[in-house]
Amino acid sequence: MEMRSFSDYLRSIDDAAFLELFSARPDLITPVPPDIASLAVRACSAPSLARAIDSLNQWQFQVLEAAGALNEPFTQKGLVALTDKAAAEALSHLISIGLVYPSEDGMRLPSQLRDVIGNEPAGLGPTSMIKLKLDDLDKAPTEATKVLERLIWGPPRGSVGDIKNPGPGVAWLLERKFLLPLDQRTVILPREVGLYLRGGKTHKENLVKSPVLTGSKRDERQVNLAAIANISTVLRWVEELLNFWAEEPADALRAGGLGVRDLKIIANHLGVDESCAAFITELAYLTSLISIDADDRIMPSNKFDIWLMQSPADRWQVIASAWLITSRVSGLVGRAEAKNVAALGPELDRVNASRVRALALSILNENPSLAPDLSSFNALMAWRAPVRRNSSSQEDLSAWTLREAEWLGITGQGAISKYGVIFQSGEDLNVINEDLPKTVDHILIQSDNTAIAPGPLEHEISQQLAIMAEIESRGGATVYRFSEATIRRALDHGKTGDEITAFLIKTSKTSMPQPLEYLIADVAKKHGKLRVGNTSSFIRCEDTALIAQIMNDKKLDVLSLRRIAPEVIVCDHDATDAMRILRECGYIPSAESSNGLLLSGPRLNRAQTKPRPPRVIGEIEIPTQELLTNALRSIRTGEKSSHKQTRLRQVANEALGALPRSTANETMDLVLKFIKEEKSLSIGYADNNGSVTHRIIDPIRVSAGALLARDHATGEVQSFRIPRITGVAPI
Amino acid sequence: MTEGPLIVQSDKTLLLDIDHPMSTECRRAIAPFAELERSPEHIHTYRLTPLGLWNARAAGHDAEQVIDTLIKYSRYAVPHSILIDVAETMSRYGRLRLEADPVHGLILVTTDTAVLEEVIRARKIAPLLGARIDAETIAVLPSQRGAIKQSLLRLGWPAEDFAGYVDGQAHPIELVQKDWKIRPYQELAAEGFWHGGSGVVVLPCGAGKTIVGAAAMAHAKATTLILVTNTIAARQWREELLKRTTLNEDEIGEYSGAKKEIRPVTIATYQVMTKKKNGVYAHLDLFDTHDWGLIIYDEVHLLPAPIFRFTADIQSRRRLGLTATLVREDGMEGEVFSLIGPKRYDVPWKEIESQGYIAPAECIEVRVNLTEAERLMYATAEPENRYRSCATTRTKRNVVEALVEKHSGEQILVIGQYIDQLDELSETLGVPLIKGDTPIKEREVLFNKFRSGEITCLVVSKVANFSIDLPDATIAIQVSGAFGSRQEEAQRLGRILRPKSDGRSAKFYSVISRDTIDQDFAQNRQRFLAEQGYSYKIIDADDVFQGKI
Repeated sequence: MEMRSFSDYLRSIDDAAFLELFSARPDLITPVPPDIASLAVRACSAPSLARAIDSLNQWQFQVLEAAGALNEPFTQKGLVALTDKAAAEALSHLISIGLVYPSEDGMRLPSQLRDVIGNEPAGLGPTSMIKLKLDDLDKAPTEATKVLERLIWGPPRGSVGDIKNPGPGVAWLLERKFLLPLDQRTVILPREVGLYLRGGKTHKENLVKSPVLTGSKRDERQVNLAAIANISTVLRWVEELLNFWAEEPADALRAGGLGVRDLKIIANHLGVDESCAAFITELAYLTSLISIDADDRIMPSNKFDIWLMQSPADRWQVIASAWLITSRVSGLVGRAEAKNVAALGPELDRVNASRVRALALSILNENPSLAPDLSSFNALMAWRAPVRRNSSSQEDLSAWTLREAEWLGITGQGAISKYGVIFQSGEDLNVINEDLPKTVDHILIQSDNTAIAPGPLEHEISQQLAIMAEIESRGGATVYRFSEATIRRALDHGKTGDEITAFLIKTSKTSMPQPLEYLIADVAKKHGKLRVGNTSSFIRCEDTALIAQIMNDKKLDVLSLRRIAPEVIVCDHDATDAMRILRECGYIPSAESSNGLLLSGPRLNRAQTKPRPPRVIGEIEIPTQELLTNALRSIRTGEKSSHKQTRLRQVANEALGALPRSTANETMDLVLKFIKEEKSLSIGYADNNGSVTHRIIDPIRVSAGALLARDHATGEVQSFRIPRITGVAPI
Repeated sequence: MTEGPLIVQSDKTLLLDIDHPMSTECRRAIAPFAELERSPEHIHTYRLTPLGLWNARAAGHDAEQVIDTLIKYSRYAVPHSILIDVAETMSRYGRLRLEADPVHGLILVTTDTAVLEEVIRARKIAPLLGARIDAETIAVLPSQRGAIKQSLLRLGWPAEDFAGYVDGQAHPIELVQKDWKIRPYQELAAEGFWHGGSGVVVLPCGAGKTIVGAAAMAHAKATTLILVTNTIAARQWREELLKRTTLNEDEIGEYSGAKKEIRPVTIATYQVMTKKKNGVYAHLDLFDTHDWGLIIYDEVHLLPAPIFRFTADIQSRRRLGLTATLVREDGMEGEVFSLIGPKRYDVPWKEIESQGYIAPAECIEVRVNLTEAERLMYATAEPENRYRSCATTRTKRNVVEALVEKHSGEQILVIGQYIDQLDELSETLGVPLIKGDTPIKEREVLFNKFRSGEITCLVVSKVANFSIDLPDATIAIQVSGAFGSRQEEAQRLGRILRPKSDGRSAKFYSVISRDTIDQDFAQNRQRFLAEQGYSYKIIDADDVFQGKI
């Protein structure tokens, strides 16, 4: 009934009203329904209604609850009487988003709505069926008043020991129907009584006005300065994290995600606490700057290189947008109550996370230059989005959102920054590029082996320096320290000592301190002095002339010899081969043992592999008495069970024998025949495991390789797949 | 974005660009709350530490001033987390106070009962407490004043000590500035100390720490116990005090291995204080026998552990620590801070140098190539003997000879660690040697001859690391040291930093064996001085022989 009138109502409204409805409830047009009737059906479905209700603020929800407490059709006047004058405005909002609709005789609610808001709106019980003398309530005895006080603000149910033997207060109320028995142990307060006791209002307090957001005032300039610092910091964090993993990929846990130890390493490396480290790793994950490969190693993806080439504003937009819409909540990582929730792990999704973020940002946006107090902020959040689903985490979520917005630079010193405003409006963020501190192209090297970049370094230079020196302090500037280990690392990366020195002289604004120059020269001198490689055999001779002769002998090319010292040649073939070939070419080599002794005399060969002797066939040891009895016992047990199995198999065969057997073609013919004749059939039907059962069916029709038939055993219509029918027979 | 001289890093270090026109102004502004960590040529590094911030609170600065200063001078935006951290850290100070109560004696009072509840539940603190007086007050065992301050500091709730100091037995002491004048920084240091009650003053070697001590005594005007490293130092203190103050010879006593005098001003050595007789420290009651109004710890970075323990018990007496290098290789800096007191005054070496109060110095590392035989010996030496084997090579002797030759006519000290090496050097160079077993009398004679110029070159062991006042020494040649000790290097340089009458700069040579751990240790040793802005020049031994320097 209502459904039809709701669609009638929809047919009656104008385009503007539709647009308003659709913009408030975009799910109604995704996908676009074919006609108004389907639109009405969708709008009245429980999920869509629930979503619409989620968008209400606390006052609007109160009005909706009050409407739910009224009998349909109701009037605006009746609604105002239950709540507040301001309800008229809220009502028109509710109408505009289709939660209430006017019909010819008054306001109505979509039928499913009552299911969504519950049977006891605002904690009021069901309507009583009879007329009550409510005045009597004023004369209620004390015991009864006490009972009523418990139930007045809901929930309206109360449990009693035994409905047949109630206490005096409950008895008084039951007698006058001010309480209704629900079952053996439960009584319920009728709606009229509840409303009467509440003084004719549905709520204790009408939360018409949104709470005022309090906090500390911030200077706009300082806010933007702090925000731009945060932006440059978060970009640096992400870049450093990925550079770190590029060198030493982390291993993902088997259960998915990043281990606590690896998270600590990251936190340490970036100089942040673990919750911030979790946030950064999640950012990298959301933006697919990292990927987890088949060996569970976490490494930067090639998107990272693309990301690095973008301008800071674009880079920031990528991560901030990903953060805004994700359902993943990094704040959950490492909390005391849930220790094993891992960053990058599978347990971080929370459905309302992105809603909370969007709402939090819009609240910040509405209160420029204000760094809100968390408690005040939570109160406002609760009013703006009265929590009905996933209630427990909203406060945590909004606290984390504020924290993360600060890390991201959407806020600065807790208040919304101009970048945050632009970000939300979706406009061009180019201003970030302009406001970021200008990059510097030089460093200052000091005699204590440190170098200071007095501002953000140009990318190329910072990459080079990161190899040559350890970062000691980060922030607006970067302090690098050179040590033997870092210089060696640079040499390992293929730089020469002279290149390092030249680079530093070129990049440094101050003159190069002599100790550093010496340090580089010293390390470079030692670097590569000790060489390690693989070889199979060596040839050595104190006569360098002979060595030279061997090196120049074309016939020995096959040995691929390499001279590593005036008196030593290495060879990739093993010693036996080398000796044989040398002998063939007319040299007279002798073998040397591992401790340098000359091996003379006949050479005794030894196999390199582990011996695997063949199995002994033939005589068998005589077993002990004990072994024999054990063997016997196990044979007996086996025999018993195999006997049993044979029996079972026999029974099965017999049963199977009774089943009809026919080929696939015969089956089809028979089935079609029986359909025509409308006769019952006996069939054998194989299930998924291949075991065949006997069914009696009435075939109905054949379609798409299946037989639709009524099964006598269950009385239900079921489809049987033709290939699985082992045989058909008439009864 | 302002173009300030300061960069505030996210790890709480502050980088000060000293070439910036506002750098001096900025340094003055941040000095009260930030600790100077390094001061090389271009950028000085300060650090915000809880101790520094609490110190600033104690000196009457509040968080807002600190934050304003940071923002004012910062080149880039100050990380918000730092501002919050500063405010939070500073608000922790002063919530607990130690006070003297006429009825209950020493009490711990709080303005925040939750903090008190937290600390009295701490395992380390409970045994130090007496009875609970009311919700905000609890009695403290008077003997545990030092211990409770230490423990509270570790918990992060430093107590402000209002319990005051005993005045000690009054004794008139005044500075006598007839032919000399106290320097501005010395006066500032003494005042900073007096204002703070107790604490440590850090001044470069040769910058006149003794005078800071004397000035502090003039503030206290009470009997004073001075603890010094050795007898020679004790004599020098005595000389200085006689010269600079109204004290006369009878008022100053020496308490050492040789003499056991207790006078209104008593100078005792660490050695005698920590001497054990039948397993007990026989002389520690010196702290108690007299009603001292001031205790001065000279070279506080060398303070031995038993003195620490005893210092914890005398928290009601004023304590002044003096040092040039508050780096302890044993990491006990924290103990110095909580038991003697926080750093009250610190100034970069180079600044004193630029004011002309210490001589400019050139640090030169001379690298010596070992002979093949020496290299082989080094390569095969047992790990525990490796340093010794490369530090005492014969080749070094030739270099030292050449250097002494080159600087003949100047006052030269040759300093080393290993006695046999020094014996040989003393023999080769034909100059006297002062080592641990040289009698005090003989040492004094030699030092006096050196001061008067009768001897121009001395070979000394580590006994001369500290407190030896040799104003005219201009050249120091270090041949070996206590492995990588940073403070030893600084102290040795300190021997030649007294300003020279002709304004000449001092030269500090370190003779190092190339490609050995001698070189690695040298690098560590030089770190402190490098951070103070001394840049080392590295030369080859051949340059010395060829007279190229």
